[in-house]
Amino acid sequence: MTGTDSVTTMRSPRPIVSSPSGSRPTGTTRARRRPPASDRRLAFALPAAALLAALAVWPLLVLGRMSVGAVTGATLNREWEFAGLANYAQLLADPDFAKIVLNTGAFVVIVTALGMAGGFAAAVSVWSGTKGGGFLLGMMVFVWALPPVINGSIWKFLLADHGLVNESLRALGLGAGGVGFLYDPKLALWSVALVNAWAVIPFNALIFRAALLSIDESVLEAAEVDGARPRHRVRYIFLPHVRPTATVLTVLTIVYAFRSFDFIYVMTAGGPGTASTTLPYLAYVEAFQRLDYGAGAATALLSLVVVVVFALVYARDVRRNEEVL
Amino acid sequence: MATRRRAEPLAFTVRVLLYLVYGLPLLWIVLTSLKSQGDVLSSQASLFFTPTWDAYASAFADPQLGASMRQSATIAVGTTVVCLVFAIPAAYALARVTSRIVVPALALLVVLQMIPQTANLIPLFWLLAQFGLLDTDAGLILADAAMLLPWAVLLLRPFFSAIPLAIEEAGRIDGARTFRAFFSLALPLARNGILTVGSILFLVSWGEFLYGITFMLSPEKYPMSALIAQQAGAFGIDWPRMMAFAVVSALPVLVVYVFSYRLLRTGLTLGAVK
Repeated sequence: MTGTDSVTTMRSPRPIVSSPSGSRPTGTTRARRRPPASDRRLAFALPAAALLAALAVWPLLVLGRMSVGAVTGATLNREWEFAGLANYAQLLADPDFAKIVLNTGAFVVIVTALGMAGGFAAAVSVWSGTKGGGFLLGMMVFVWALPPVINGSIWKFLLADHGLVNESLRALGLGAGGVGFLYDPKLALWSVALVNAWAVIPFNALIFRAALLSIDESVLEAAEVDGARPRHRVRYIFLPHVRPTATVLTVLTIVYAFRSFDFIYVMTAGGPGTASTTLPYLAYVEAFQRLDYGAGAATALLSLVVVVVFALVYARDVRRNEEVL
Repeated sequence: MATRRRAEPLAFTVRVLLYLVYGLPLLWIVLTSLKSQGDVLSSQASLFFTPTWDAYASAFADPQLGASMRQSATIAVGTTVVCLVFAIPAAYALARVTSRIVVPALALLVVLQMIPQTANLIPLFWLLAQFGLLDTDAGLILADAAMLLPWAVLLLRPFFSAIPLAIEEAGRIDGARTFRAFFSLALPLARNGILTVGSILFLVSWGEFLYGITFMLSPEKYPMSALIAQQAGAFGIDWPRMMAFAVVSALPVLVVYVFSYRLLRTGLTLGAVK
């Protein structure tokens, strides 16, 4: 135990309360020494490690095996015949595959762009601590906390032929025939992506707001004395200040958009045709609707590669921030 | 933040827009649930109508509502408890230990947290089948807990890091062993963090849909989210009834949310960016 004690004492003068966000490493307080060979508190992590090994890591290995196997509804619970790259070949030969990849890209770009811009705009608008702003943020975060299935259903209702949106358009004298938000192949992907952005904006606003709150009050006062207009404040103080936060949040939003499932399922079921199908959604359709688990696994594995790339970017940032934690 | 700010027309406009875009859908769920099927058929957008409890009467007459509410409660409470039991000690260890393993472990958690749910869904379906856990509460709770565990650990860790080491050191001089230092010193001090992460876990697992609809084979075991999706996917949707289902299933969310909003506001911020 003596080894541990000396190390813990050595690193004790680090910041006690980690500030919410936007904080960059201000100086390494953790000693860069060889860590002790063993600390028995590491054993506290063993149960979680075991659970993750069994129900998160092992399944990924099974997924890999499935993706090169002939696994269907009939053979799922038997020995899987090795099929080489047949599942991948089948996937690439699918005439819809290229379109689905493009769908995925477009979906992610729309959700991320709107989610980030909307989150920042919302954070700025609720930032100047009035009561109305606080309530608005509270309401938005409540919407975020609602089950995605409820949020998807309400938008399916609002975007229907005689829903609120179309009726409002009619009242304004636009599009008497009604806009087929969810069944027009040109619009379906956009509609689902917009609703997904709507659902992630509250979370992003919360994070951006925390970053804004960490701005030194004296900087703002100085700017005000110098006669800076609100838009100058946004341009020269807010935007530069939230940049580190925005980097991490962009990665999180990209991954969130990419993982999206519930909204697509409830609002369009990937349709019409494959107009609003993304890669992870295709994996579900192949495995659980066509009962071709092998093809589903191959698709899921392809989409996994995309996520791992982004996850590593994020993990690198976490590692960089490690010193201040 | 007490300084008086100049009037900002743009910020005001954005706020009004946000009130509309987030307030109207909430309002429409409640309004629609108080309409009759006929009102909705004539115009889904109408603001003036005679409120009726018909939709709620019809919703509560369906035995599936009670069954699904119970199911969701079992899954959400079970997932929250199981996940916390695994996450708390792990977060403590990753906050306190200075081994070279900590940073790679955190990176692994980040990667696991980001994996698309459909990628886990396919092999887990097979895995749960091997152990006879398909269509059981235990199977679904384990799958949900494993899915949320990386996030829970990452969210909890800053709360343990924030506990001054000096407190634990003082305890250790007094002769508290590793286990006692954890249970009687660190655990009570991280209470806020545990409440925060517990609320988040409850909210997320209450709304979880994909595992619920896949791992539960018999529709009478579907959680609320699956029941609502089923209603919304039917031909000739009975919207008032569906919205009544939505309101009922949003009530627990509202209760937990109201009690934990202050905690959530800071807790989410800590875990997401770090």
